[in-house]
Amino acid sequence: MRVTRRKFLRATGAGTALAKTGGMAAILASGQAPAYAQTQQVHWLKWNDFVPASDVLLRKEMLPAAEKELGMKINLETVNGNDLQPRVTAAIQAGAGPDLIMAFNNQTYLYADSVVDMTELAEDLSSKEGGLYKYARSICSNGKMFMGMPWAVIGAMIAYRKSWLDEVGATTFPDTWEAYRDVGKKLKAKGHPLGQTLGHTFGDAPTFTYPYLWSWGGKEVEADGKTVVINSKETIESVKFMAGFWKDAYDEGGLAWDDTNNNRAFLSQTIAATLNGASIYIESLRKPDQYITEKGTQMNKDIQHAPLPKGPAGQFGFHLLQSHMLMKYSKNQAAAKQLLKWIHTTSNYEKWFISQKGFATPCTADWEKHKVWNEDPVMTPYKVAGRLGQAPGFAGPPNAKAAEALSKYIITDMYAKAVQGTPAEEAVKWAEGELKKVFI
Amino acid sequence: MATIAIAVDDRQKRPRPRTRVLEDERWLAFALLLPTAVLLGLFIAYPFVKGVLLSLSADRVGVSGGFVGLANFDKIWNDSIFRTAVWNTFWYTGVTTVFKLFLGLWLALLLNRHFKGKAYIRAAILLPFIIPTVLSTFAWKWMFDPTFSVINWALFKLGLITGRINWLGDPDLAMTSIIIVNIWRGVPFFAISLLAGLQTISPELQEAAAIDGAKPWKRFWYVTWPLLLPVTMVVVLFSVIQTFADFQLVYVMTGGGPANATHLFATYAYQIGIGTGLLSEGAAISLAMFPFLLLIVIVQLLYIRRVETR
Amino acid sequence: MIEGAPWRRWVFFYIPLTLFVFVLLFPFYWMLITTFRPDGELYQPWNSPRYQPFWTSNPTLEHIKYLFNETLFADWLWNTMFIAAISTVISLFCGVLAGYALSRLNFPFAGSLGTGIFVTYLVPQTLLFIPLAEIIRNFKLGDTPWSLILTYPTFLIPFCTWLMMGYFKAVPRELEECARIDGASRVQAMLYIIIPVAIPGILSAGIFAFTLSWNEFIYALVFLSSPGEKTVPVGVTSELIRGDVFFWGPLMAGALLGSIPVAMVYSFFVEHYVSGLTGSVKG
Repeated sequence: MRVTRRKFLRATGAGTALAKTGGMAAILASGQAPAYAQTQQVHWLKWNDFVPASDVLLRKEMLPAAEKELGMKINLETVNGNDLQPRVTAAIQAGAGPDLIMAFNNQTYLYADSVVDMTELAEDLSSKEGGLYKYARSICSNGKMFMGMPWAVIGAMIAYRKSWLDEVGATTFPDTWEAYRDVGKKLKAKGHPLGQTLGHTFGDAPTFTYPYLWSWGGKEVEADGKTVVINSKETIESVKFMAGFWKDAYDEGGLAWDDTNNNRAFLSQTIAATLNGASIYIESLRKPDQYITEKGTQMNKDIQHAPLPKGPAGQFGFHLLQSHMLMKYSKNQAAAKQLLKWIHTTSNYEKWFISQKGFATPCTADWEKHKVWNEDPVMTPYKVAGRLGQAPGFAGPPNAKAAEALSKYIITDMYAKAVQGTPAEEAVKWAEGELKKVFI
Repeated sequence: MATIAIAVDDRQKRPRPRTRVLEDERWLAFALLLPTAVLLGLFIAYPFVKGVLLSLSADRVGVSGGFVGLANFDKIWNDSIFRTAVWNTFWYTGVTTVFKLFLGLWLALLLNRHFKGKAYIRAAILLPFIIPTVLSTFAWKWMFDPTFSVINWALFKLGLITGRINWLGDPDLAMTSIIIVNIWRGVPFFAISLLAGLQTISPELQEAAAIDGAKPWKRFWYVTWPLLLPVTMVVVLFSVIQTFADFQLVYVMTGGGPANATHLFATYAYQIGIGTGLLSEGAAISLAMFPFLLLIVIVQLLYIRRVETR
Repeated sequence: MIEGAPWRRWVFFYIPLTLFVFVLLFPFYWMLITTFRPDGELYQPWNSPRYQPFWTSNPTLEHIKYLFNETLFADWLWNTMFIAAISTVISLFCGVLAGYALSRLNFPFAGSLGTGIFVTYLVPQTLLFIPLAEIIRNFKLGDTPWSLILTYPTFLIPFCTWLMMGYFKAVPRELEECARIDGASRVQAMLYIIIPVAIPGILSAGIFAFTLSWNEFIYALVFLSSPGEKTVPVGVTSELIRGDVFFWGPLMAGALLGSIPVAMVYSFFVEHYVSGLTGSVKG
């Protein structure tokens, strides 16, 4: 009730002001309080963390402490990850909005002209913490400037049910695609298929299809970032394999899954393995008594993680990298930089990192030695997510073109088409046509 | 809300010094149209012009690319995904409109009778229309989820299927799914609006026809339907516009997937303009919707006028 | 009533009506049951023997508590109501005046102006929100309810004007002329004679306008940023969808609690509403 009345008074107050002085002029006038009289205010927009405890930690402890130490006000806003891009776009076009905005993957390149160079902060961090991973560097820096301050890597690993893989004789996780397909075939026969999305979803779809493509030796473009070479023997081979693999081993409902479906399917014991962040495991830890296996034991004891298998060309990973862009239009750049510096100070960042329990991997090498990774062996594979990642656009740079190809889901759709029955050659040809329109 | 309503009233009652000027129809019309013109001019005309200019430029987010004429339109015309989206939009709009009209009319005829609890049923069936689309679409998504689908469960228990139906995973079924949700959301709007239309039709007409020995179906076709036509056209018009530009539903259900099978104008424009940062191309796709929509609307408006003057 | 044997009544009336009500309301039942279902039961695949789609053996209030204690749901609900109400009032005000002018006054370009207003309804929102963001910034309206209160009328006014035009056309000219002969000015005739007659039409336009603002998502997402300023659709999705996990219980509770107040108001209005529409379409 209290809120209601306060809000009502404020709102009606604004209404009368509007009526009295004739509309916009009043609003214009009241909005323009002199800047020097205010304390610095930083508006920070990020995704709403999968680990809610981390957002609570930021809101209730860390940011109040930062406000006190730095003498500024911090307004942390969290939105659903899918909704970050419309916000960034509108803010840039309008020239006003949040000071710090989280970017996913190589979106940094899309907004390169609208952000402030963060080289100083990033290099500082790199020198203090054993060096930035090459992956983080290639995504956040175009060689001339750091477009974003690397924040964390959300590692993508295969979560699998140990006991079910044991049952079909896979006591260690298969390390090649052929072996994985065989295991998957047996699992599907027992009613526990593998799960994977090939839908339009920013997380789990590209983090599977890109490394899969690379591991077969396929790539979008040459190192020049212009010559499209997707239509290769290797790619066609990978697409053919995928079509059969899908029928043999995968849950065929996965074509339109979004990032959340595989979590649910796994936790409800429908699928035996799926590529995901650590969120499935962490969720099962959070409510141990809710997720129970068919044998009546806690499911979290039966979950293991493994990287994607090897292909003829090697083993790859593509992990969601998050960075923070300091916007050019911001009037509080100094304060925002201070805040970033503060939060990346090892002792502060550590608090946040611990609250993530391994869901997020920091972007610098020293953190691999942190005790968090030893506390729970199940999480250990995520330790090196940042070290192993490769950026989309390979073998070219992960620039705006590569980001365009990624956001159009061209590679993902190529596999989705093949799985739906389009001949491999045709699907690859389609992707070639689309990529050529992007990389010109 | 009450205070504001009173405030508006006060303003209207206040004696106006320019009353005499307002006796002139032209001045009065000007005064009456002014608030609308200001609001629309400020918040639509300018952005619309901006949008058109954007579609003629090569702008990306935060980068101005200069004027390129119709290059963007040329580009999207040769874009196979765009063509799919155009086709999808027409199919989606056409199919849903036919079903919404048919089912809505049927429901309106049912609700037009007297029965116990009429008022409650009428209010209850409005629910699908009231609930925020984003949220109701999430509920549907859960109902279509391949792993948890209650629809599959029900069909299975009824013995209609033996395996599961891959609702959102199959391209054709995904389209069918979004069409189902759209119909579900739209039927109440049609039903209530047509119900209103039905109530204007005097029952005596029906009775007279009945005395003449006309069968119910003939009575509907020759008596009710012609009288209902004007309201039907208005309702169809609004519904077509809304459906043609639909965004939220598809965005939440499939994001345009699988493999672009469910992209509509609006979702594809969003993916290109926002997701990829190609603002100009996204604006061109949005704008390409406009002539199609205009054409449909003009045809309908002309038809309404004909019906009205008949 | 349907004439003839009772079976005809069943086949042509009760059964189809029941089917309609069932299909239209099933998703709400689904939300309701999800709201009260403990999380543990949510994760049952459809072919599992323990799948209980239509009931729950252990109903819980946990999700509703979460919604009110851990999120700003009460604020969002209030914001949405406030924004929808004010923008509806503004749109009605403009729509009624414009509708009156366009349908009952003779002035040059009346027809093309009417079409012009209608055409603005066709401009896709996905095109508008980026340039609009610039205007919102120029007026310094960002992150205030006014950013939405002033932009929602852009799609509400054309709609209201159109409905009101139809309605005013249906009011007989004699009514107004009588008043004029009695010495009323044009404005007085409009205010005291025509508009009161049009109340049901205004009501129906209002209900539609309210629903459209209630539903709006993209403007609300882009123009508002403080957690306490958001509307129900944006607040619920940005707080209860986290990475790759949905908080289904609170999400559905939010959807349900967000629409029940409106449904109640509507059930109160629905009879007027039906008669209101009736008028608007006579013309």
